[in-house]
Amino acid sequence: MLEVNKLSKHFGALHVTRDVSMSVAKGERRVILGPNGAGKTTLFNQLVGEYAPDSGSIKINNEDVTTWSVAKRANFGLSRSYQQNTLFDGLTVAENLGLAASVKANKSTTLWRDSLTSPDVRALVKETAAQVDLTPHLNARVSDVAYGIRRQLEVGIALATQPRVLLMDEPTSGVGPEMIGAFHQLLKRLPEDLTIVIIEHDMGLAFDVADSMTVLNYGEVVFEGSPDEAGQSKLLQEIYLGTFEDA
Amino acid sequence: MDTSFWILQLLNALQLSMLLFLLSVGLTVIFGLMHFVNLAHGALYAFGAYVAATIAASMGYWVGLFIAPLAVAVLGLVLYQFLIKSMRSSGPMAQVLVTFGLIFALLDITRIIWGDLALALDVPEILSGRIDFFGVEYPAYRYFVMFVGLTALVLLNLVLNKTQIGAMIRAGVDNDKMAACLGINVERLFFSVFCVGCALAGLAGAVAAPLLSVVPEMGLEILIPTLIVIVIGGLGSLKGAIAGSLIYGFVQTFGSVFAPQFASVVIYLLLAFILVTKPAGLFPAKGG
Amino acid sequence: MFYQTPLRKVIMLAYLLICSYVAMTADYFGVEILTELLILAIIALALDLVAGFGGMVSLCHGALSGLGAYVFATLCTKLGLGAGESILITCVVTGMISWLIGLICSKSHGIYFIMATLAFGQMAYSFVFESSYLGGDNGMAGIPRLDLTPISIDLFDSTHFALFSLFCLAVSYWFISKVLSSGLGRSMVGIMYSEKRSRALGQPVTRIKANIFGLSGIILGLAGALSAQHFMFISPSLLSWTHSGEVLVVVILGGLGTLIGPIIGATAFVVLKHEISNYTDHWHLIVGIILILVVMGGAKGIYGMLESYIEQRKTKAAGPERVLSEE
Repeated sequence: MLEVNKLSKHFGALHVTRDVSMSVAKGERRVILGPNGAGKTTLFNQLVGEYAPDSGSIKINNEDVTTWSVAKRANFGLSRSYQQNTLFDGLTVAENLGLAASVKANKSTTLWRDSLTSPDVRALVKETAAQVDLTPHLNARVSDVAYGIRRQLEVGIALATQPRVLLMDEPTSGVGPEMIGAFHQLLKRLPEDLTIVIIEHDMGLAFDVADSMTVLNYGEVVFEGSPDEAGQSKLLQEIYLGTFEDA
Repeated sequence: MDTSFWILQLLNALQLSMLLFLLSVGLTVIFGLMHFVNLAHGALYAFGAYVAATIAASMGYWVGLFIAPLAVAVLGLVLYQFLIKSMRSSGPMAQVLVTFGLIFALLDITRIIWGDLALALDVPEILSGRIDFFGVEYPAYRYFVMFVGLTALVLLNLVLNKTQIGAMIRAGVDNDKMAACLGINVERLFFSVFCVGCALAGLAGAVAAPLLSVVPEMGLEILIPTLIVIVIGGLGSLKGAIAGSLIYGFVQTFGSVFAPQFASVVIYLLLAFILVTKPAGLFPAKGG
Repeated sequence: MFYQTPLRKVIMLAYLLICSYVAMTADYFGVEILTELLILAIIALALDLVAGFGGMVSLCHGALSGLGAYVFATLCTKLGLGAGESILITCVVTGMISWLIGLICSKSHGIYFIMATLAFGQMAYSFVFESSYLGGDNGMAGIPRLDLTPISIDLFDSTHFALFSLFCLAVSYWFISKVLSSGLGRSMVGIMYSEKRSRALGQPVTRIKANIFGLSGIILGLAGALSAQHFMFISPSLLSWTHSGEVLVVVILGGLGTLIGPIIGATAFVVLKHEISNYTDHWHLIVGIILILVVMGGAKGIYGMLESYIEQRKTKAAGPERVLSEE
């Protein structure tokens, strides 16, 4: 479903993405690991269209989207949640989900009809809220709810467009350990045919959820395989824990 | 249209550019450094003109020219402490509105103190003649305006590029938070830059007074050209201020000769074009 | 998000009734002041649409309505069209010009957006000022008023014209609230809160911004046609940037992003201006100080503070779990 081929990007002398290739099948849960600065978020930014890669290609469902705009890719079924909350602060949870749902329901630019009160948008909001445990908070303002709930909303907005491919950038970032378990359940409940790529730092969650893993270091792919293989890999141990310096 | 006509226009354009430079350099550094858009800058210029005219009436032109920038700097000090400081972190709309209110207030305060009639300020004796330049007799005073502008350019260039305080200002324009981390007292820097900017506006007013009529509305009339200059030229930099001033001065002067109906429209088109394609201007202090 | 709350409905209705009463009972000067503030209120509504609900602070709205006035005057006095069709054409033309400006400025933000609109406003001002066809500095006179005598309304009568302006205000309010309650309006508010997220959801951001600006322009055209008919004379000063500045002041004074606020703000501003002018020549000073105080104090505006206060009381009364009634 998602094919990345030799993607490269540099900012001046800094190569943030080096020949990254990745192939994620439909319905697969791929976790991307890597130390800070490995270029994971930058990779996402290129997949989504916020940055243009210097070379390489991105294909979604066999369609080459490398030169497409952010909005065009979104309309094609690519959705993303951010590491830093990028919500519609000042609106309610329901309105946040509603805005996303209205795009899916093709009502976001209608001139006379309301989008938020139309039955299909309302239904989609209810459905998405249930998926991400937000039902009791629908009428609350974003500024009034706890950080963990906002993280759920962050994912909820991305889900409300009913995407084909969902990119999640550190969904549990800043969330307390009790909520990580809840997030885990949330992820397990997501549709089976939804292709998900997650950047994560929480190893427990990563190893539990992943069908396969890609590890980035200094912008390039250093490992790709199953969670079991990742657990055994000496290379990964070195990257994360460092090597023993012989005296 | 012989050569002397073109030389005349050239001199006019240069004189206009230099006047605008004096006004815009203060505003652009204030904007570049403090991200504060002070619409009342024109009102400060008007205040300078009024002070100069009043003082000159009893103590002569040169005393007026000296006192005016100081007076406006003091006014700037007061405004900074009571108004600008607390608005610095507000959004652009709030800043526009507050300084807009300031324009209104200062307009009437000027009227209250000096009345509605135009004040006159005579060109000083020593500059009242005409100087021959390539066959064109041009008023000595207008050369003086250019001289003041050029002196300011040279002095400011020296300060900004060759002194430590200049380096601190440039650092502040580039990244004020980082500059603060390096131990630079950014707050005090902003305050000094603001006052100097005001003084320059006052100087511009004093210098312009003998050429234009000193009326309460003069601040409003000069504001838009000043904004155009700093936006086209580039925010926060000396190079931008002089570039913008020259562009405006020349397009306006020569445009009025060739196509008077479209001279202004062309300027605004250029402004809109820059704002949309290169919002930070042609030579901004920070990359575009 | 915009909702036609009961409070807003009540206040709008009360306002319409009070103004109708004033139009029918006040003396000549009172009725003239009423008409002036009603037209200003229409422009303020159009500005609130783009600024309060779209985050696009425009300093050319006064100029655009002035441009509309010139379009109307030209159609009537130079091209000999009737006032009725001229009003319609004016709305369309002003809407199109506004759409174009909104499109060009859509990539600009913050102070750059404000200055870009200022540039376009000034462009319009210079164009009109320098144009001998449009009368230049002398303006245009002899502008007719719409002929509604078939329905027994004589717009040359001040009271009738004031009531007609009130009717236009009601229509403008209805139009703008419809836009804000539509999918397009909702998306615009979303863009205001987070343009990045809106784009990431697949919203056609540029198109939405331009469309909203264009719709605002239609109302500006109506206001322009009205102001041309009010004095039956127009001059370039209608397009001055200080006029556009005053519209923004009025919106803030009343309450940005409330739609009712700008109407209240326009009323307060014009009434205050005339009242203060009776006592002193220096109403600029007083308005300037009021504006500074309002903005430094949080800029909620007269009506904005009222809504905010009621909102706070509701949250306190309902406790932590507040159920939002279907609106």
